Amino acid sequence: MQPVITFRHFSFRYKNQSEPTLKNIHLEIARGEKIWIAGPSGSGKSTLAHCINGLIPFSYGGEISGQLLLEGQDASAMTIFERSRRVGTILQNPDAQFVGQTVGEDVAFQLENEATPQDVMKEAVFSALDVVGMRAFEARGPHELSGGQKQQVSLAGVLSTQADILLFDEPLANLDPASGAKAMRLIDEIHRNQGKTVILIEHRVEDVLLEHIDRVVVMNEGEIAAIGTPDELLAAGILPQYGLRQPLYLDALSHAGLSLSNFTDLTDPASLRLQEPVGMPNGAREGNGQGGSERMKDNDAKITDDGDGHRIQDDRERTGASELQLRERLETWAASVPPVVRSSAGEPLLELRGVSFAYEPGTNAVEDVSLTVRAGETVALLGSNGAGKSTLSGLITGLLKPSRGEILLSGEVINGWSIRRRGEAIGYVMQHPHHMLTQHIVRDEVRIGLAARGVPESERDQRADEALRICGLYPYRNWPVSALSFGQKKRLSIAAILALQPQLMILDEPTAGQDYRHYTEFMEFIAQLAAEGMAFLFITHDMHLALEYADRAAVMAGGRIIAEDTVARILADGDLTARANLRETSLARFAKAQGLTSPSRFVEAFIAAEKKVKRA
Amino acid sequence: MNQTSGLYVAGESFFHRMDAAVKLILLLTWTVVTFLFMDLRVFVVMLAGGVTMLLLARVPFRKMALLFWALMVFTVINSIFILLITPRFGTTLTGSDTPFIPLGYDTINAETLFYVLTLSLKYLTLLPITLLFIFTTHPSRFAASLNKLGVPYKLAYAVSIAFRYIPDLTKEFRTILNALQMRGLGISRGDGTLLQRARNVTQAVVPLLQSSLQRIESVSDAMDLRGFGTRPQRTWYMGTVMKGSDKLIALLCVVLLATGVGLKQSLLQGFWYPFG
Repeated sequence: MQPVITFRHFSFRYKNQSEPTLKNIHLEIARGEKIWIAGPSGSGKSTLAHCINGLIPFSYGGEISGQLLLEGQDASAMTIFERSRRVGTILQNPDAQFVGQTVGEDVAFQLENEATPQDVMKEAVFSALDVVGMRAFEARGPHELSGGQKQQVSLAGVLSTQADILLFDEPLANLDPASGAKAMRLIDEIHRNQGKTVILIEHRVEDVLLEHIDRVVVMNEGEIAAIGTPDELLAAGILPQYGLRQPLYLDALSHAGLSLSNFTDLTDPASLRLQEPVGMPNGAREGNGQGGSERMKDNDAKITDDGDGHRIQDDRERTGASELQLRERLETWAASVPPVVRSSAGEPLLELRGVSFAYEPGTNAVEDVSLTVRAGETVALLGSNGAGKSTLSGLITGLLKPSRGEILLSGEVINGWSIRRRGEAIGYVMQHPHHMLTQHIVRDEVRIGLAARGVPESERDQRADEALRICGLYPYRNWPVSALSFGQKKRLSIAAILALQPQLMILDEPTAGQDYRHYTEFMEFIAQLAAEGMAFLFITHDMHLALEYADRAAVMAGGRIIAEDTVARILADGDLTARANLRETSLARFAKAQGLTSPSRFVEAFIAAEKKVKRA
Repeated sequence: MNQTSGLYVAGESFFHRMDAAVKLILLLTWTVVTFLFMDLRVFVVMLAGGVTMLLLARVPFRKMALLFWALMVFTVINSIFILLITPRFGTTLTGSDTPFIPLGYDTINAETLFYVLTLSLKYLTLLPITLLFIFTTHPSRFAASLNKLGVPYKLAYAVSIAFRYIPDLTKEFRTILNALQMRGLGISRGDGTLLQRARNVTQAVVPLLQSSLQRIESVSDAMDLRGFGTRPQRTWYMGTVMKGSDKLIALLCVVLLATGVGLKQSLLQGFWYPFG
């Protein structure tokens, strides 16, 4: 059958760049296929998406060479409008792409532009809203919807147009884990029920692999680095080579000294199992055999050679035996890794005692919350969107005043302190650096806060430079802020706070939207600051972040703190994570599926092993 | 958290149901007629009419309070300036000069005082009908109606999209100000001199502009991808069809305008001053 999308020798260079962003792309996507385009930031995956939907060259000019065919026709001859009838795009930012005043209008937007009669339009809108389960919200405005719901509306918008290809540009970037999982499920349903071709651009591996994927295209530096089924690529360990984080349970297997090529069904922690031996005489192992005997060799003597010609019955028994061995192996490994010893935390620094707050009388957004952060400690405040995390941070920073309860800083009640005064001890770093950066030159950005705090002129430069040095930005001190990369801007926003010498820093979603390399770079930098004694409170729905970088976690749901414990224990507790609308870490699900006695011990061992690797 | 975009307040009154284009015609007619006159009697009648309509629409007062007080303050300040700067302006209209309040450098005369009263009432006459239009017209219906009245749809949609993103930008502005305050660049009383505080607020402008530009880029990408502007015409999901009652109102507008012009020509030509 004719592919719906064909790239042949396709290259693209942006108008104002000297190097091409896409180089010699060869790719065919079949009708009804579900393709995941993966790759680190800057790998060209979004550029590829723009080439498909027509934003390139329509909005972003440049030089194209090679061929791009959409349903067999030369795409360069089509207008962006003609393309939009074939390719429906769901952009990354659910807020910006919501152009209507209400849900109904937003879904209807393309139909309006096609001058569809109103009655036909209404019918199409309602049936598209039914598909995404948003019919009840038809008259609502964007301000009444969550990020996930806005995305569902955008999806309904492209469904109403009957486009055959659905293109999702980082659909998970702005969603919490629960909404992300829901989005993936919805995309999968539409793919299966409506036979659409689905192209997903994402760098969040575990979240994408929650649902079935036909093929993965790994991009790197503008080229296609690998193509294959998720299982093939995971087994070959391709993803980590290109700055993508493979599922944590696979890392755990590697830590335990097991080779991934010995396993099948790697995409799901619950179904992952040891590959059956080579040479089975029946069809029981179709589809996962190629290269098997090669791989068997580096299996460390766990599967004894049983020769050819065994009956299935025997084979099952033997597989059972090897599963038992696998479990033992994992248990032994988990027991052998000494848990990370947390340096004993100091005196209580920030204390919340029975704090409540209501935006509207009668319904408390934060209810009777007590929480302690000790000096030098790193605490993660976990919760899904709407759990009350932002309200709580507003109460700590003084943007909001609690209706009940006390907030203490080093034992002193600070309920009456102004935002400005609290800011001297508690530094707050926002999710988006562009909300914090106001100056033209890097060094001025740090100096302005010092000036506002009345630091003498002579001292300002010295303190600013020191903060910039710590953040690795000293060489850029005279650069314009706009010339910095996103990661550098993020670090500059930290430097601006750091120079004020707070005792505690609150980081709001510190790693949102960053790929694994940037995420690790940034968080290792934070870990260093933590090691030097700065206390941190992460406000996040990112479980990996909490898992790897926090000493303790507090979980919020419905405005209350429902658990406070070590991160490993919290994230291994399936009931708890479900109650908080978070997701149980894949490590714990894997440990449970393997029947390990203590999933939280396994998670702890993983954390310790990762730390050893990273700090080595 | 239950805010819809813009200022629209949902309701079920006659004015909520009225076709937005007709409502716009009503607003324009009202404005034109108001500006034809400088006659207190006309304004009292029109103000009474306007207030009645506004009451019928049942828009909660607290929603309108800000605009209401803004216009009141404007009117009062405007009146004071006229009285202080040109205390005898009324004379040029009536020809008479009745001293009333001595100012030292000059004297406010009764004619000017009456003129200021008439002028204030003129502005106030426009207030209820404007509020009525703003608060009972859904921004999208407004765009659709502008388009129906012959305004190009791209322009009409620009109005709608502005309504859509103003709340977002307001929120963003607040976030930036919060970040500044936490770093010691306070904006409230006790955070420094007025000048210092004002300077701190201006710090928020650059990031706000930058993020607005970014937003404009994403929004225009989203609109391009969904075929905006490719056809000479577009339809409107929220577009309404004129009902019999709408046509009746439109007709009444014509009558009102004709009456206004007629009155202006025949009876009430200039500034009405009963004490002259």
